[in-house]
Amino acid sequence: MLKRLIAVFAAAIVVIAAAGAWWATRVPASPFDRASQASPGATEAPEATVARGAYVARQADCVACHTTEGGASFAGGLAMGTPIGAIYTTNITPDRETGIGSYSLAEFDNAVRRGVARDGHRLYPAMPYPSYAKMTDEDVQALYGYFMKRVTPVRQENRASDIPWPLNMRWPLAFWNIPFYDGHPYVADTSRSAQWNRGAYLVQGAGHCGSCHTPRGLAMQERALDQGSAAYLSGALLDGWYAPSLRNDPNTGLGRWSESEIVSYLRTGRNVHGVVFGSMLEAFNNSTQHLSEEDLGAMAHYLKSLPGDPERDGKPWSYQAAPARTGSPSNGEKIYAARCAYCHGVDGRGRGQWISPLAGASSVLSKENASTINITLNGSGRVVQAGTPDSYRMPPLRQLLSDGEIADVLTYVRGAWGNGAPAVTPEDVAKLRRTTNPSSDEVIILQMR
Amino acid sequence: MELRINGMTHQIDVEPETPLLWVIREELGMTGTKYGCGLAQCGACTVMIDGRVARSCVTPVESVAGAEVTTIEAVETDPVGRKVVAAWIDNQVPQCGYCQSGQVMAAVALLKENPSPGESEITEAMVNLCRCATYNAIHAAVRQVAKA
Repeated sequence: MLKRLIAVFAAAIVVIAAAGAWWATRVPASPFDRASQASPGATEAPEATVARGAYVARQADCVACHTTEGGASFAGGLAMGTPIGAIYTTNITPDRETGIGSYSLAEFDNAVRRGVARDGHRLYPAMPYPSYAKMTDEDVQALYGYFMKRVTPVRQENRASDIPWPLNMRWPLAFWNIPFYDGHPYVADTSRSAQWNRGAYLVQGAGHCGSCHTPRGLAMQERALDQGSAAYLSGALLDGWYAPSLRNDPNTGLGRWSESEIVSYLRTGRNVHGVVFGSMLEAFNNSTQHLSEEDLGAMAHYLKSLPGDPERDGKPWSYQAAPARTGSPSNGEKIYAARCAYCHGVDGRGRGQWISPLAGASSVLSKENASTINITLNGSGRVVQAGTPDSYRMPPLRQLLSDGEIADVLTYVRGAWGNGAPAVTPEDVAKLRRTTNPSSDEVIILQMR
Repeated sequence: MELRINGMTHQIDVEPETPLLWVIREELGMTGTKYGCGLAQCGACTVMIDGRVARSCVTPVESVAGAEVTTIEAVETDPVGRKVVAAWIDNQVPQCGYCQSGQVMAAVALLKENPSPGESEITEAMVNLCRCATYNAIHAAVRQVAKA
């Protein structure tokens, strides 16, 4: 009796395991399954579709991760740090052997929207397929047409990840998907305007804004993928930068930004509240500036519909002039005068839209201090608008200021002009100095194209 | 836009974000102000805006509309400026000279704001870089004016 029970139990386990194994390694169904069987790789995409695909590729900013600095476009190879080792982005040029040239439309769709490669292995969610899942069939088809017809094939082998066995097994990601992945394309909210829905589609889908701006949970999942949760786009720490809230938080989010100011930020890289820097600079250079005024307006409209959280954000900031000084200036104030004030102004107000104000800037007001430390140490990159690099750039102060000096000056900046953000410690600076030093073995910086 | 430089009004037609230094040198042909690093780090481009020291390489021209800009060309129209230039000659400060117009402007701005700065105040204010390391001579010249 007992033997029989054990046998039944064992058989059940085998069946469940087999079903699980099949399920975790299967190639999911794509709406393009039938269309693609004819001739994989080849595409008869008309010019209009290819042009639309090029635009979708801009929205999705594929080039940012799938290209290394100075490398061929879309040939992959960018190292992305994870707590268990680096992974490398793949070659997505239409090279038939090392790229995606032999992918059918359905296989391409499975990679983009379902996170499953042609051979059935699961992609790490560093590829934002949980966001891309919201893209429409038409946009995915156009994107495929663009990659196959317009992108230059480059022969470059993919690089295996540095993650050791058994952590490098991919099938468990199928189970990760159960709670964290909703494979449905974007469903319009009919109670909202067409503009709002277009904005939501772009922000949540191809734009994958949440990849940086939404905090992540224990399993590295984005804690929300749409406005249904207050965590969505509420700000997150990633790769040595703090991506601030994109919700209506007056201090640390977009609360003081009008829709048209958001549009100019995405279109020209700047407005009176700030200039793009850090990872947003890459997103601007490669993606947002190429989007139409109408689409940017829709994104701004959608973002402005996300309510802020006064409890997290605190009392709304207002400019406070420095009180008349009694006694000698603090060390931080002296460093500010010598190193920062020439550009950002003694009053912290910057120079119009050309040089960021530090008074009231969301990155300065954030509790997280990573962005302020990072940009002080490493400076900013080139803001290139319509092919023209900008005239003003934050220089790296890594060699000029010690950890203590940077802590002092940032503590001053975070406390001046009504900013009221917590002090910065030399230890905070030391840590980022180490992890953003390319020659360090602890480097985390993600140098996107 | 209209730009006030050294007491004269100029009509200029440039992009609003153009650095003031470019306008001074390229548009108006006043080449006394030098380009050094372009990042507000060295001070070779120092001018005065409404009497305060400023680095023209990081000053968008749009932001000085309505302000009074003073460059090295007009330094001797100012009594403090004349004293500083005389002290510079007395101390034979310049070597190659490239940074010196910026150094002189920084000294004038300091002495106009604080006619008798102490040793540490001079050190803290005179932060422009000098490739020839004329720092001691610069310090001596500023001290000479401060004491006078």
